[in-house]
Amino acid sequence: MGFNVSFSKRKDEKFYLPGQEIRISRRTITTKSYTTENDNVLTCRQRTWFILGCFVAVYLVLCVRVTYVCLGNGINIDTAVSEINESDIFRFKNPVKRADITDRNGEIIATSLPVVNLYANPKHIKNPKDVAEKLNEIFPEIPYEELEKKLSKKGTFVYLKRQLSPNQQVQVNNLGVPGLEFENCEKRIYPHHNLFAHVLGGTNTDNVGIAGIEQSMNDRLTTSTKPLHLSLDLGIQNQIRDELIAGVKQFSAASASAILMDVKTGQIVAMTTVPDYNPNNDTNPNAPEHFNFATKGIYEAGSVFKVFNTALSLESGKVKTTDRFDTSHAVTLRGIKVTDPHGSHGMLTPEDILVESSNVGSTLEVIRVGKKFQRKFLQSINMDKALTEFELPELAKPWFLSEKNWSDASMATISFGYGVSSTPLHIISAFSAIVNGGMYHQPTLLSNNKHKGKRIVSQKTSDSMRTLLRAVVTRGTGRRANVEGYQVMGKTGTADKLNENGRGYNHNKSISTFISAFPQSDPKYALLVVVDDPKGSKETFGHTEAGWNAVPITKNIITAVAPQLNIKADFDLERQKSIVDAAYKVKK
Amino acid sequence: MGGSIKTAMVVLWFTVTLVVAFGSSVLKNKVQGLERRLAAINTSIQKDIDEIHVLKAQWSQYNTPERLRKLAHEQLSLESAKPEQIINYSALHFNYEDNDVPSAVRTDKKSLTTLVKAEVKKK
Repeated sequence: MGFNVSFSKRKDEKFYLPGQEIRISRRTITTKSYTTENDNVLTCRQRTWFILGCFVAVYLVLCVRVTYVCLGNGINIDTAVSEINESDIFRFKNPVKRADITDRNGEIIATSLPVVNLYANPKHIKNPKDVAEKLNEIFPEIPYEELEKKLSKKGTFVYLKRQLSPNQQVQVNNLGVPGLEFENCEKRIYPHHNLFAHVLGGTNTDNVGIAGIEQSMNDRLTTSTKPLHLSLDLGIQNQIRDELIAGVKQFSAASASAILMDVKTGQIVAMTTVPDYNPNNDTNPNAPEHFNFATKGIYEAGSVFKVFNTALSLESGKVKTTDRFDTSHAVTLRGIKVTDPHGSHGMLTPEDILVESSNVGSTLEVIRVGKKFQRKFLQSINMDKALTEFELPELAKPWFLSEKNWSDASMATISFGYGVSSTPLHIISAFSAIVNGGMYHQPTLLSNNKHKGKRIVSQKTSDSMRTLLRAVVTRGTGRRANVEGYQVMGKTGTADKLNENGRGYNHNKSISTFISAFPQSDPKYALLVVVDDPKGSKETFGHTEAGWNAVPITKNIITAVAPQLNIKADFDLERQKSIVDAAYKVKK
Repeated sequence: MGGSIKTAMVVLWFTVTLVVAFGSSVLKNKVQGLERRLAAINTSIQKDIDEIHVLKAQWSQYNTPERLRKLAHEQLSLESAKPEQIINYSALHFNYEDNDVPSAVRTDKKSLTTLVKAEVKKK
């Protein structure tokens, strides 16, 4: 008959839908027929209402908030901005990875520009000959054959041309050749061309420093995009370079170098060597003009060393400024005879020895002091080692005799600048210490590098030396550098060059040096000018000594740069009034 | 009675859902718009930074001392300063109070007078 379900205790009802039979009639929920089953239903319903209410409440809150935010001023911008994390802020990128280099006034002297490299995927080049011909028209410096060879290669990558100009990039783009692609890179630019060539050096095609400050500071320049500030001054450097070029031309010299140093900090304000080169052009790094004589050229400085000889003599306490030395006779020491090339001078004080540049006088001074003290003193002013703390990689170690070979004869020759070779940088660093009050500062090219300094001579010796060196300019071989108002002091030096085979001296070729500082009352700057192989002329009456070439160049430089360096000439009031009078009358 | 409440609740629920959905959509749209604007501004700033970098290099090239000296000489007849051109104010011995002050100086007579007095006092 089939499956039959019946509820025996309930009244039979008619059911029309499946499940209707278990629906609970309202009549069953009464106090009379209260059961545990009915209680569960009530709890369930209440919970449902409760959850529903919660949902509605949450939605209402959200709704109000969204309406408030969308239609009103729901977000306080200031509060929102203040709540932004540092990490969420958009970081603007420097367009180039290599930092700029600036002079001490913030003028850019080296920068990088974003450029592109052109490369090809030879697999995608359908007609290499045609493409090579088109590219050859844009890049005439690349031979057609080379382009065709590269485009016909089997690989998938080949550089065609590096560091394209924007114009060249547009032209290549306009060709519309599939397979020619660009790669972003950067190119180092030196806006002042030759001006800082030796100091800045250069980079290779991958923008990695390969010479000069670009090489030595490569890590600093590539890890931070903040500019690197040098102590050099653009205007001063240019002025000095111009004077050197004029000097080289006037005296038909092979080359010339100059360094201007702040004597109180050791900072280099200008450093240049001519002839120089344009670092923007691809040049041969082995060419002679790439040689930085100022830091790498070692030479015997000649009488300039008498400055150090006199300073060490005074510092030893065995020589006083009032002492007198008989220079009327030659001095013979261990087989060498020391004479004065311009005849004997008679009795000379240390000041006269410098003024007359007496070799005999210098020898007599050092004999009194002794070779041990002489060697020790020269070591204290770093004449025996390379200045490795200096920021350029192009450095040279001076030629300095060992203690064993430091004989009495070498002691004599070294006293007047033969037998020890050093670089211009060594000489100016030591000279600055002697005139600045006795403190030796490591030379530096960085504007924020402040070396504490070490004492090498006493203040008293330094004061005495300033008086002595001033006399050289007022009545000695440095007369032509006596710029009115600037109390210039200094010392000349002319040394024969060594023969090319390194044996003996060539008496027809010399190196002239003039080391100076100004003003004498409170020295601020030291200037070294070196002229290599100057020739005599009508104007110099055939002379090639420093007093005829390096000294007048120095005068021109000091005249031009001292006002720029903010050094006031010490004219007295009457003199100033006469200058104003003269200028005013001329104008009238 | 219970059925109508239930219906009302369902309607309310849907309404609220719709409002929230609409509001969220508007908010999202607004934020996306602002983000697009921010990205465009940032891109523009970055482009400007790139251009400024190139311009700085160009400016540096225009400011070579040789070029400036040449221009100053040709256009302004200016020469480099000489040591004797730097003098004290007290060396200017024409009378500032009177009218014999050169015309070039007269315009700034007051400040010059102050400076001169200070200079004389110092001496």
